[in-house]
Amino acid sequence: MSGVEVVVAPVKVEIFSSPSCDRCRNVLAVLKTVARELGPKHIEWREVNVLDELDYAVELGVLSMPAIAIDGELVFGSHPSAGEFREALESRLKAHDGARRSNE
Amino acid sequence: MNSMKGYRIGDVTKLLGISADTLRYYEKIGLLPAVNRTASGIRDYLKRDLSRLRFIQRAQKMKFSLKEIAELLKMREDPQHARDEVRLLTRSKLTEIEENLDDLQHLRNELQLLLNLCTASADGCPIIDSIDNAKR
Repeated sequence: MSGVEVVVAPVKVEIFSSPSCDRCRNVLAVLKTVARELGPKHIEWREVNVLDELDYAVELGVLSMPAIAIDGELVFGSHPSAGEFREALESRLKAHDGARRSNE
Repeated sequence: MNSMKGYRIGDVTKLLGISADTLRYYEKIGLLPAVNRTASGIRDYLKRDLSRLRFIQRAQKMKFSLKEIAELLKMREDPQHARDEVRLLTRSKLTEIEENLDDLQHLRNELQLLLNLCTASADGCPIIDSIDNAKR
């Protein structure tokens, strides 16, 4: 049916870094571009300063930076390539879509 | 070390870092059963004594009291015939250790993360900032 928007829950992406982490800046810019390409509706983006949220970072298992959690689960303990990141997001989006369909 | 049999009190002191007085005291209060003696009356510690002493040291690091350690040693000596109270104490100490392990693991990971952050930073070590912030 036209005019009805299908709502898929966005994939929650959390990037753990710190303002003083030099190598994080470039990586962050690349990953942000990938997320933007997939569409802001589909990706909920959050940058986490580990020094502000140390307990949370440690609980997820973050040991180095930048690290990436998807939907509250540490997926990349160290930074992935743009391709790996895109693949992980796309597979998660598919899973979200599958979950939505099974609830229909 | 006495190469033929066990260990002299000086050997044990060196190996475990426990003073001779403390070793004698442990024996006196029964934490360590009467130690074998040579024909000339010199204490002759066996490997099983050293193992027991290491157990005592570890338990002390966990801040267990000497009374609790004495009970745990009974369990160590004969687990199948230990009294219910000793079993209960052992279980409760096990829980205590597991909680400590969780805390230690968290602390270890936190320190590891801070050190890794340090190496990723060109302008200094954030561990110092973090400690300073915690003090405020």
